[in-house]
Amino acid sequence: MKHEQTHGTPMKYGMAIDLDKCTGCGACMVACMAENNIPFKEDESEKLVSITWMRIFKLSNGKSFPDLDICYLPRPCQHCEGHGGHSPCVSVCPATATDYSQETGIVSQIVTRCFGCRYCMGACPYHARYFNWWDPVWPDGMEKYLSPNVSPRMRGVVEKCSFCYHRYQLAKNKAYLNGGRRVPEEAYQTACTQACPAGAIVFGDLNNPEHQVHQIVKPDPDNGNRSRNDRAFRLLERTGTNTKVYYLSSREWVRRAGDNYLAHEKTGQVAKLHH
Amino acid sequence: MSTLDEKAQAGMDDHAAHGGDGKASGAGGFIILFFIIGFAASMVLGWVIFPKLLYSQKQQPLNFNHALHVEEVGEGCQACHYFREDGSFSGIPKLAQCTECHEEPMGDTEDEAIFVEQYVTKDREVPWLSYSRQPDCVFFSHAAHVIGAKMDCVVCHGHIGESEVSRPYEYNRLTGYSRDIWGKNIAGFKRNSWDRMKMDDCAACHKEADAIHDVSVQTQRGHCYVCHK
Amino acid sequence: MKVDRRSFLSFVIGGAAGTALSPLPWKLMDDSSIWSQMWPWTPVPPDGEVVYENSTCSLCPGGCGISVRKVDNRAVKIEGRPGHPVNDGSICILGLSGLQMLYGPTRIKSPMKRIGERGEGKWQKISWDEAIAILTEKLTDIRDKGEAHTVAAIAGSDSGTVPALIRRFMTAYGSPNFMRSPSQRDVDELAVKALFGGDGRTGFDVENADYILSFGSGFVDGWGSPVRMFKAASLWKEKNITVVQVEPRLSNSAAKATRWVPLNPGTEADLALGIAAVLVDENMLDTRAVSGLGSWKNDLLAAYATEKVSQTTGVAAGVIVDLAKGFAGANRPLALCGRGKGLVSGSLRETAAVYLLNALSGNINREGGMWAMPEADYIQWPDVATDNLASAGLVQPRLDGAGTGKYADARYLTNRLADSVNGGGPYPMQALLVAGANPCHDLPDTQRVRAAFARIPFIVSFSSFQDETAAMADLLMPDHVYLERYEDVPIGAGLAQQMIGLSKPVVSPQFNTRHLGEVLIATAMAMGGSIANAFPWDDYETCLEETLAEKWDSLMETGVWVQADTEPVADTFQLAGMDAPAVQAEGDVNSFPLLLVPYDAIQLTSGYVGEAPFMIKAVADTVIKGTDGFIEVNPQTARAAGLAEGERARLTTPRGEAQVCVHLFEGIQPGVLAMVRGLGHTAYDGHLAGKGVNINELIGPVEDPSTGFDAAWGIRAKLAKA
Repeated sequence: MKHEQTHGTPMKYGMAIDLDKCTGCGACMVACMAENNIPFKEDESEKLVSITWMRIFKLSNGKSFPDLDICYLPRPCQHCEGHGGHSPCVSVCPATATDYSQETGIVSQIVTRCFGCRYCMGACPYHARYFNWWDPVWPDGMEKYLSPNVSPRMRGVVEKCSFCYHRYQLAKNKAYLNGGRRVPEEAYQTACTQACPAGAIVFGDLNNPEHQVHQIVKPDPDNGNRSRNDRAFRLLERTGTNTKVYYLSSREWVRRAGDNYLAHEKTGQVAKLHH
Repeated sequence: MSTLDEKAQAGMDDHAAHGGDGKASGAGGFIILFFIIGFAASMVLGWVIFPKLLYSQKQQPLNFNHALHVEEVGEGCQACHYFREDGSFSGIPKLAQCTECHEEPMGDTEDEAIFVEQYVTKDREVPWLSYSRQPDCVFFSHAAHVIGAKMDCVVCHGHIGESEVSRPYEYNRLTGYSRDIWGKNIAGFKRNSWDRMKMDDCAACHKEADAIHDVSVQTQRGHCYVCHK
Repeated sequence: MKVDRRSFLSFVIGGAAGTALSPLPWKLMDDSSIWSQMWPWTPVPPDGEVVYENSTCSLCPGGCGISVRKVDNRAVKIEGRPGHPVNDGSICILGLSGLQMLYGPTRIKSPMKRIGERGEGKWQKISWDEAIAILTEKLTDIRDKGEAHTVAAIAGSDSGTVPALIRRFMTAYGSPNFMRSPSQRDVDELAVKALFGGDGRTGFDVENADYILSFGSGFVDGWGSPVRMFKAASLWKEKNITVVQVEPRLSNSAAKATRWVPLNPGTEADLALGIAAVLVDENMLDTRAVSGLGSWKNDLLAAYATEKVSQTTGVAAGVIVDLAKGFAGANRPLALCGRGKGLVSGSLRETAAVYLLNALSGNINREGGMWAMPEADYIQWPDVATDNLASAGLVQPRLDGAGTGKYADARYLTNRLADSVNGGGPYPMQALLVAGANPCHDLPDTQRVRAAFARIPFIVSFSSFQDETAAMADLLMPDHVYLERYEDVPIGAGLAQQMIGLSKPVVSPQFNTRHLGEVLIATAMAMGGSIANAFPWDDYETCLEETLAEKWDSLMETGVWVQADTEPVADTFQLAGMDAPAVQAEGDVNSFPLLLVPYDAIQLTSGYVGEAPFMIKAVADTVIKGTDGFIEVNPQTARAAGLAEGERARLTTPRGEAQVCVHLFEGIQPGVLAMVRGLGHTAYDGHLAGKGVNINELIGPVEDPSTGFDAAWGIRAKLAKA
């Protein structure tokens, strides 16, 4: 008997982030920090060593006053699928500490398995992975707010966004209790999605036509899961990372900022692959 | 091992080169004797003393009679260890649950007196030591196993429900884990399914039950996040 | 038997073989690897039953509903409360950080009295009884000398039962000197009085407007009720309506707007009146609600001809006409004002000019329009029966001058406090009570404020946190934080509805703190006589329950009370306040060729509570780097001063100077410098203290001549290489 877990369509959790709505307020970052027991130090202004599973980047159209335009881009782990789940980080991990699940499409990171070689950080094109250079220290009393759902990390390991996988685990518990296994759309939402005051983040199963994220993104499986929405783009899409975080913008310069285009290339144009 | 043999041989040759003194054969007997002494001593150290050093014992704050409770409350384990509405498992009951019956002492055992005096009247939680606590990085879903796979409590917890006294809680000095999780037998032999609950044991059982989800790109087995957090 | 070398080696080899065949090395290897994966000093958060407790966030005036996740008795996460009329499940960065304040090490953990020099930080823990005795004795002494009026109180706000208790205490005691932290609410209340002839505030039906003209209001930078405004901004995007942001700097709000119109700093009122003039000129008006337009029309047209306005504001004439046409062409256009988060009292001329635009478009007390909301009136306590000492004190003039003479219309002029204490007031201040406010950091010209505080002989802080003002106090009587106490939260903040939220204790008090309401009642009891009689409640909870009366049950159940229909203050808009002179930036153009303007960021609280570590973590490295604070400079201006990105510079204004780092930003007009408000703390701990520069050290209040309010929008400055 094969268990039911593998029955039905596998899920592919992903996000659509509307950059026209995102205000760069940072609520997603802090919701993530509070949800996932992310540590902090006295000085967090050295951003290369500041652990932020979700981080907001500021984009600019590069023009001068008064034609300047700016746009914020929240960057969680992009949960690359690559080809057949061979995302850049999973492919290089020598410790089986990071893994791709064909069942959920989530790239996991098991910190107790990680021995800190940081190959994955080198491989990740999105700087989505962070190394714990120090043991986490919570100021006296603050360890009281730590959540039991996410294990605090120790120094010497890499950590990253998990799409709040523990929320999926908990939602699944409840599904079992109700006699099922499938987790409904509203029962599994990431902390950033839930918090975003602008409602810019939509999260769900990209494979499920009933989920809002599917309806927004309309992924095209015959075209490397590219979105059929004209406003949508993915970061460094042309490298084939096949990410599951889609961004939406009505501004072309923003969509163009998602990849390294040559001057003559059209936005969204796929570079010819040489095999 | 070959390196050791060669070194031993080299030592012999070394000795012979110095001419020897005729006591070589007698010394050979001693050599074997010393080997046996060394071997025996380290075996005793490794098999007898080390486990005692490695594990420390603590007594539960008071004796708990599972057998009696199971008999009194009926309903079996879930009378006290139940699923909450959100699908999480309640685990060891909190004081409030105990006081539903134990507001006043029930029976006249010494432990009952301790319980009521020290905890119920002072409204203090009993610091029970959990034999089955998994490390913090593990997400264990009782719902998946008990409701989903319809497993019996005994498979992992053994016959604790029939115990009349609380056995000492043993924990590993280095890792701090309960011996029930970390392996009752120092050699790693398992007689019962509940003798050890390490990752390999989870994996073995999952394989046996054909519950391997084969969704991991790395291992072609279950995905790490199935049991980790 | 002699143990020779060979025997020994044999023993060792035997030992090695035995060890290898025993569990010792393998088990040790396994255990030590596990030990290194799970260091014993890495905290393991205890698991337990998860429950959610609903409450109301009072960290800002927004009034969001929150849902606090608890594991047994620990609060582990604050989330927005789904279905709440203000925020419907969403939450802002400050609200999310609340637990770092609740459990943070900068809480004041017990009542304390000062034993060292002021500001030295030497305190002695005392009991609550002793603290109340000290306060009672001091206040009784002053009052017995007939000097009750020399005691003042500053509160964070004046709405809700707790501020009302402070005010009541002051009245029963005999002092007219109750003040609140300045904010745009000051000028808004005054404008409602002047324009609509009654007490109240404005409310904006932003969700139903179809054209937004914002005069610098940071609708996604923390203006109004922040989460509600974020949601509205997304709604505007979805409905594809035009949003125009008028301000000198490309703020996040400007970036979210469909159109950003940069203008010369401080000329917002001119632009608003210029647009009004176009509306009048082209007869694109709906004058039903406006009285007295008649002859004023000609004055307006003469004073605000488009070309002239264009010159003043730096906005092209075509753009002004365009804005006027867009505004008039919309069905439900809405103009907003109050720069940034609205942290400065502001100018009456500017406020009245912007409100005039709403009136001219006929959009008063209508769906999608501006509402003149009456003040919440649920606090109906009997008048205080004052004794002779109190009555004598109450007839004295206020220290800040509000309510009399040329400041007749102002309720509070907290910005004038420092000058008053420093010698400009009618009498010296002998004691000050501070609750829910941090004037030593948040009032402009901090040096003068600190100097004033140094002159006040007795200061009591009710702050929950070790803030700059608490550091200057003589007696600390820490209040619970919002997650530990009951409190009504009347929600103003630009809502076009009357709402009251209820804060409930989500966790038991973590430290030896006490509810400010309880402390006031206890102190009143200790003082006895007519003061005690003014507080007929056994405790604060009784007071709250009685005050909320029939609303109490629904508040306990749902956490928020919404008034179904509100009768506006008035439907007729009278012309007033617009002929006042413009408020100029302090400083001389020749010595200070540049302009420094503050800006507000949602990542910083810019208010009474200090930023939690999570918030500071979310601040960009072009705002704080290490301890350096940045100013935004147009590259052209920087080049002229020989400054490059990240370079240190000396920023000087007529009020002070500071070392800053330069961040080149094309989103700011050449000649203008922008600095974020809220940094440069000297109190709190290393996660906050010493980071960046407090702009209040560099800027001083500029009095609006028509009201007395601080209407400073910037200050002249110069920048040089450090």
